[in-house]
Amino acid sequence: MLDATQSRQLLAKVVAIASKTPGAEAVVSLRGGRTGNTRFAVNEITSSADVETQDLSVTIKLGKRSASASTNQLDDRSLAEVVARAVQMAKLSPENPEAMPPLGRQAYKQVKGARDAATAKLGAEPRAKAAGASIGLAATSKVTIAGYYENADRTRALASTAGLSAFHAWTSAGMTCTARTPDGTGSGWAGGASHRAADFDAAALAKIAVDKGVRSAKPTRLDPGRYTVVLEPAAVADLLEFLTGSFNARRADEGRSFFSKPGGGTRVGEKLFPDTITLRSDPTDAQLEAAPFDGSGFPLAPTTWIDKGVVKGLVYDRFWAQKQNKQPTGNPQGWILDGGKATREELIKGVKRGVLVTRFWYLRWIDPQTILITGLTRDGVFLIENGEVTRPVNNFRFNESPVQMLGKCDGLTASVVSPMGQMRVPALRTHEFNLASISEAV
Amino acid sequence: MISRRSFLAGSLAAAASVRLVDARGLMTDPVLDDLIQRTLATAKKAGATYADVRIVRMRNERVFTREDRIDGVSYSDQYGVGVRVIAGGAWGFAATPSVTIAQAERIAKAAVAIAKANAPLLKRPVALAPEPAHVDVWQTPIAKDPFKIPLEAKAELLLAINQEAMKVPGVKFVNSWYTGNAEWKLLATSDGAYIEQEIVRLEPGFSVTAVDDKRGEFESVDDDTPPRQAGWEYVENAALRSSARRVAELAVEKLKSPSVTPGKRDLILDPTNLWLTIHESIGHPTELDRALGYEANFAGTSFATPDKLGKLRIGAPHLTFYADKTTPGALATCGYDDDGVKTQRWNLVDKGIFVGYQTTREQAGWINEKASRGTCYADSYGSFPFQRMPNISLAPGPQERSIDDIIAATDDGVVVHGRGSWSIDHQRLNFQFSGQTYWEVKGGKKVRMVRDVAYQANTIDFWTSCDLIGGPKSWWLGGSMSDGKGEPGQSNAVGHGCPPARFRKQNILDTNRRRKA
Repeated sequence: MLDATQSRQLLAKVVAIASKTPGAEAVVSLRGGRTGNTRFAVNEITSSADVETQDLSVTIKLGKRSASASTNQLDDRSLAEVVARAVQMAKLSPENPEAMPPLGRQAYKQVKGARDAATAKLGAEPRAKAAGASIGLAATSKVTIAGYYENADRTRALASTAGLSAFHAWTSAGMTCTARTPDGTGSGWAGGASHRAADFDAAALAKIAVDKGVRSAKPTRLDPGRYTVVLEPAAVADLLEFLTGSFNARRADEGRSFFSKPGGGTRVGEKLFPDTITLRSDPTDAQLEAAPFDGSGFPLAPTTWIDKGVVKGLVYDRFWAQKQNKQPTGNPQGWILDGGKATREELIKGVKRGVLVTRFWYLRWIDPQTILITGLTRDGVFLIENGEVTRPVNNFRFNESPVQMLGKCDGLTASVVSPMGQMRVPALRTHEFNLASISEAV
Repeated sequence: MISRRSFLAGSLAAAASVRLVDARGLMTDPVLDDLIQRTLATAKKAGATYADVRIVRMRNERVFTREDRIDGVSYSDQYGVGVRVIAGGAWGFAATPSVTIAQAERIAKAAVAIAKANAPLLKRPVALAPEPAHVDVWQTPIAKDPFKIPLEAKAELLLAINQEAMKVPGVKFVNSWYTGNAEWKLLATSDGAYIEQEIVRLEPGFSVTAVDDKRGEFESVDDDTPPRQAGWEYVENAALRSSARRVAELAVEKLKSPSVTPGKRDLILDPTNLWLTIHESIGHPTELDRALGYEANFAGTSFATPDKLGKLRIGAPHLTFYADKTTPGALATCGYDDDGVKTQRWNLVDKGIFVGYQTTREQAGWINEKASRGTCYADSYGSFPFQRMPNISLAPGPQERSIDDIIAATDDGVVVHGRGSWSIDHQRLNFQFSGQTYWEVKGGKKVRMVRDVAYQANTIDFWTSCDLIGGPKSWWLGGSMSDGKGEPGQSNAVGHGCPPARFRKQNILDTNRRRKA
């Protein structure tokens, strides 16, 4: 994998090749990656891999004509070929009146400590050790465990004929595991993620999954309906993603978004959520594996999108910002739903009758206008009665919106890195959550 | 299908690549033969009891447009080599984009080292079901190579679609797209298999959005042209441009339509919707690794466990679901899987009874089968090959019956067309699907278009309630360019064919939340 200097040299070479075409502007980007993974299931390791990847993408602009070509071969002949292909495609492509010129030199925020050397070089043996710790615990507890451990060392670099020069290197690691009881009636899950493998402990995660699996065995029936729910961070993150992906300003202006206002305009400035809801993005949060620039090289800044319940802004690309006389935002990374002061136990204590949810599964859009999403609960669902978790219950299909999840939220724990990574969220309590039908799956 | 087995029968793997070049010339670089032989030898020397080398090139071309302009034009070319080994009874895998002898030998050693690191935690060593060492070439039969069709022709077609759709009053947005993929791969195994294949897949399509600014409402309808394994002639012959106006009119009508009346009603599914229901409720539960717990941490497990094989009634007696990687044009069709197993057709559900699984060479022995069904696949040079879904289809009924015949026989129901929202639980029981367009049926007639429809059911109840299916002429081949499975996630293209069908007294939901928004 190429380091910062090598990446910059390679991109400079490609920009120089592109500059030979009269009138051509170019943006070139390079991604590099070394990823390792180990899977385990039925209490043994099932597969493991170390894989190298690289990808060079060249976008050529000839006036308002533009096209992109990419290759993962970085020898001189391949570089010349990929540029020639992008030039040829751009010439053949119809004009795009929305084409924007390449970015020039930018100033980027620092993401301190984004690359952890120990995580970068982590190999099959420590991964096998993590799997082994989980398997050992599962065997002792007479449950069956399956899981996945992955670590990655990645780079992203961009350059342009206008002087753009960006480079970011970061690492990531994550582990998830699912423990099932031998009778097939109990299943528990846990996960951890960070840019540093040392930030989570495989055995501790396995213990949570095993405990939850055992406690969730032999669930009793709970009817579908609208319930008060306590959602653990993995569930919150899964549903919240549909909201964070809906901030596109253009779609709102075009009248085809939750953030569109009937009769025209957007809902920016409206108070749609309680005072406790603040949603931000912070590209400098190393644990979220964010980069200080987006895919076009646009510099990202910490931004508040919902402030104490009020919608503060939408996501503008450069073209739409120019057209609407707004500032472009870039494509935000590192989403954070600010937490509160409650503990998980306090959230549960405040529930007369409700449901505790570990995580969701198979979330899909039903209606983009209301951000109505369907999905299922999974791997640990419990009834809460009079402030206490009383018994495991069946899984549910839900039909609900993250807008309502936040709108009816009345309690938040501190935010943590989501077990799936890339987002910081709290556990939260919300009401009238539509658990629409029973799922017999365990 | 192009097969040259007759020319190649009896050849030895060592000399095979030369023969392949002579036979057809698909393989552009005979130097690869040397790389393959040395890599397999290196893996063996390092301690592998089995090794395979896959050299893969994936090409992808995309064109996106909206209304009267181009949104994006891109081409990608990814090439590399992956080495999979068994050492100490465990799998190991490593891959690199540097396709040189030195790098391939390096990753062969790395793959063996990974396998050895994992071997101590293994309870039972990996054992591969026997398979003849095939030496062959296979490619998608195409008349016009889509990668040689000029970009202008693709852009022109898409912009013409948009222009037609935008003529309809009330239509505000149109997005159209074209994707072409070419997957070339050379697989060589230490068992002597030597197989070269090229698979070409295309997906043209468009989506029309109507907006009512005053009410602040919008609705979209997607065209239902299915992706196919085909040449450019498929796009030329598809009725994309001629259907643009009709799809646009549907979007406008959908926006004006009332919400469905929910409740227990008969459900009539057009094949453009039913294929995805088959994929989720029959396709995934019959993956053997899933049924045995190997996917428990991500995709989940299955209601169709091996103890139920040959016993469980999944659906009505007139329903037979078959798997294959041989249906012409279907997205998963090829000559050999990534274990080097010759592709075939077999039943998963026979007359309503669960009878079969999707397997690989590793898995066949897990249920005491003697040979693999040939469903091993990896989505790039850098991906570990494992069990992936083949084409899975519902056989048509013996007598001719169209969707109109089914509607005429229905007193109170809802007809669903197109691929909408889809979600199913992790044992493949509770599912909920929507579509693109919906009509209410009363007294044997489509009476009005409705919207905000979803149907929610349990897999076995659903298929058991099926009382009518269409005949041979109503059978339609759909599919998806991407189906996810595994950790790290891999994507697989799958084809699914089916006739229309009716399901009695299903749970129809009204998903309208606008009044509360």
